[in-house]
Amino acid sequence: MDTKTTLRSTRRHWPLLIALGLCSLSAIATAAEDPERATTARAERLAITVCGTCHGAMGVSAQPKFPNLAAQNADYLAAELEAFKSQSRGDPDAISYMWGMSAYLDADTMRALADRYAALPPPRLKVADPSLIATGRTLYENGLPDAGVPACGACHGPDGHGLPGFPRLAGQHAQYVLKQLRSFQSNMRNVAVMHGVAAELKITQMRAVAAFIESQP
Amino acid sequence: MQFNPAPSMFTRRRGVVTTALLLGGLGWLPTSHAVPSFARQTGMACEACHTVWPELTHFGRMFKANGYVLDTQKQVRDVSSEREELLSLAAFPPLSLMVQASYTQLAKPLPDSAAAGTSQNGTVALPQQVSLFYAGKIAPNLGAFLQLTYSNDGGTIAIDNTDIRYANIAVLPDHQSLTYGLSLNNNPTVQDLWNSTPAFGFPYAGSNSAPGIPYATQIDGSRAQDVAGLSAYAFWNESLYGELGVYRSAKQGTAGPLDSTTPGGVLASPAPYWRLAFEHTVERHSIEVGLYGATFKVYPDLGGNPQGNPPTNSGYGHLLGGVSDRYQDVAEDLQYQYLGELHTFSLTATHIHEAQTLNASFAATAAANVSESLTTSRAFATYYYRRKIGGTVGLFKTSGSIDATLAPNSPDTSGWVAELNYLPWLNTKFGIQYTGYSRYSGLGTNYDGLGRNASDNNTLYIMAWLSY
Repeated sequence: MDTKTTLRSTRRHWPLLIALGLCSLSAIATAAEDPERATTARAERLAITVCGTCHGAMGVSAQPKFPNLAAQNADYLAAELEAFKSQSRGDPDAISYMWGMSAYLDADTMRALADRYAALPPPRLKVADPSLIATGRTLYENGLPDAGVPACGACHGPDGHGLPGFPRLAGQHAQYVLKQLRSFQSNMRNVAVMHGVAAELKITQMRAVAAFIESQP
Repeated sequence: MQFNPAPSMFTRRRGVVTTALLLGGLGWLPTSHAVPSFARQTGMACEACHTVWPELTHFGRMFKANGYVLDTQKQVRDVSSEREELLSLAAFPPLSLMVQASYTQLAKPLPDSAAAGTSQNGTVALPQQVSLFYAGKIAPNLGAFLQLTYSNDGGTIAIDNTDIRYANIAVLPDHQSLTYGLSLNNNPTVQDLWNSTPAFGFPYAGSNSAPGIPYATQIDGSRAQDVAGLSAYAFWNESLYGELGVYRSAKQGTAGPLDSTTPGGVLASPAPYWRLAFEHTVERHSIEVGLYGATFKVYPDLGGNPQGNPPTNSGYGHLLGGVSDRYQDVAEDLQYQYLGELHTFSLTATHIHEAQTLNASFAATAAANVSESLTTSRAFATYYYRRKIGGTVGLFKTSGSIDATLAPNSPDTSGWVAELNYLPWLNTKFGIQYTGYSRYSGLGTNYDGLGRNASDNNTLYIMAWLSY
């Protein structure tokens, strides 16, 4: 997306603006001379005014179709934004939403966005069916040894908070997790490790592990 | 959009272009603001902004509120040494084309308009409508939805729905946002963000060769493309929306300055428009409740009225001065959306009440009463599976005062509509729509005194709708 437009437009003194009688609160302008601060300010504005429409102003989305980004691993977020931009991440919503949204993000802005979301507090917990969560917990902690499916916690951390190079899962919307598992399974989202994991999972098992993930703090 | 904005047979036969209870027929066809140029500009598929077009999702509403300017395409730019953006022009203009073709079958053919006998039943329209859109960004904070339409009934190309916007966003403390802007448009509610208001409410397409609902309130499409309005709006935190504006007559196909010979009536003074809405989104659910309204003072068009040509007349209508007719429209609306992965469901409803004070028409004997009222209610439920197969069912009802001149049997018209759609691809829609009337112009049977019943106007409408 056009990141520079939104920043610069705030400095314009349009007669229309005056006519409207509303003042723009523009912390960006003061930070504009320092490139790093300007990028951070631009990312903050972008996150609230554009990304926030789907992902929430604080990175917690109201709609489970869109993932929570708050407290997510910054390296993961930056890598995914780059994957959207290069169109190498191919799950359906990536194609229909994020390929376009990321098209004109530069590397600095991606990094600033990633850092911004990583620093936000994680989403609140959700209540779900305890038996489904219990099934999911077993899967998450132990995997399916007979089928060769490793424990999710081995890479994503026993608490689901992620490990270097692996995303945070705790508190993520179950609907989003389920969709991603199915995209890994079909290889539309082409990640070899996750394709191997998801290939052996049944839909009921995916639902259970997604419910467990969503319930984790 | 009026429910059926095509010039109704009722209008033609009676020859009444009333000012008090404006008959259906002043507007163009129902039109969509789902245009592929938005997708081209943003790089996002239709589903980002629409459930099934033209119904908007929350993201689509924000795209519109933000002035249609979100873009991800290559731009031709110019920047000053102070980094002020002087130009940001899309490398390719945001143009789109829309084509509608249709077939209309009435339960009973209409009478021949000039002789004994009946008209042909089964009307083919190819095209019914072709529209060219410029829909997208003009400058960094300026965007437009501009539609030029050829319609087969008029046989001409004319300006259609237009909404030119300036928008900006202020970031407030606590990560809140305030989107604010201006809209310059030619149809009250065309600038609105929800599909529960008239301009972009269901049905999104309808026949132009079937009798439409014969009476409509002013805000319900009667002034579409007949006025120009400027409104200022603010949308706080993507949830609380407020708008204030004014409209003034801006006729098409009529040379200015406007005078008593101007068809369709002339607004006597700037007509205030207002809107208040609250939207809340949680999980897959989104609900909106709102109020909107406008007050129009009109020097009426009295031409063609059999009781017209009073002393105040000079040609078609009322001299532009002295008393006028006043229409005060106040409406409530509601929209609920459920957006699932496989299933989408939405409910839209509105209730418009119009208080009429017809001083000018009464003085010219074009209305039998001074004080009258007209009320329209409608509600529609829409379901789609995978955004490919689905449809809408709904009810509509218009009721109001009996007026010996304008509505001898009362304007009461009510019925139901059902539509089934199939979208093989996201930008192509094929549909079958059936409209059933239980009452028409006040009566269920013999409403025209010539033996025609309300149900004779039941309409089967088959359409193909392509946007590209």
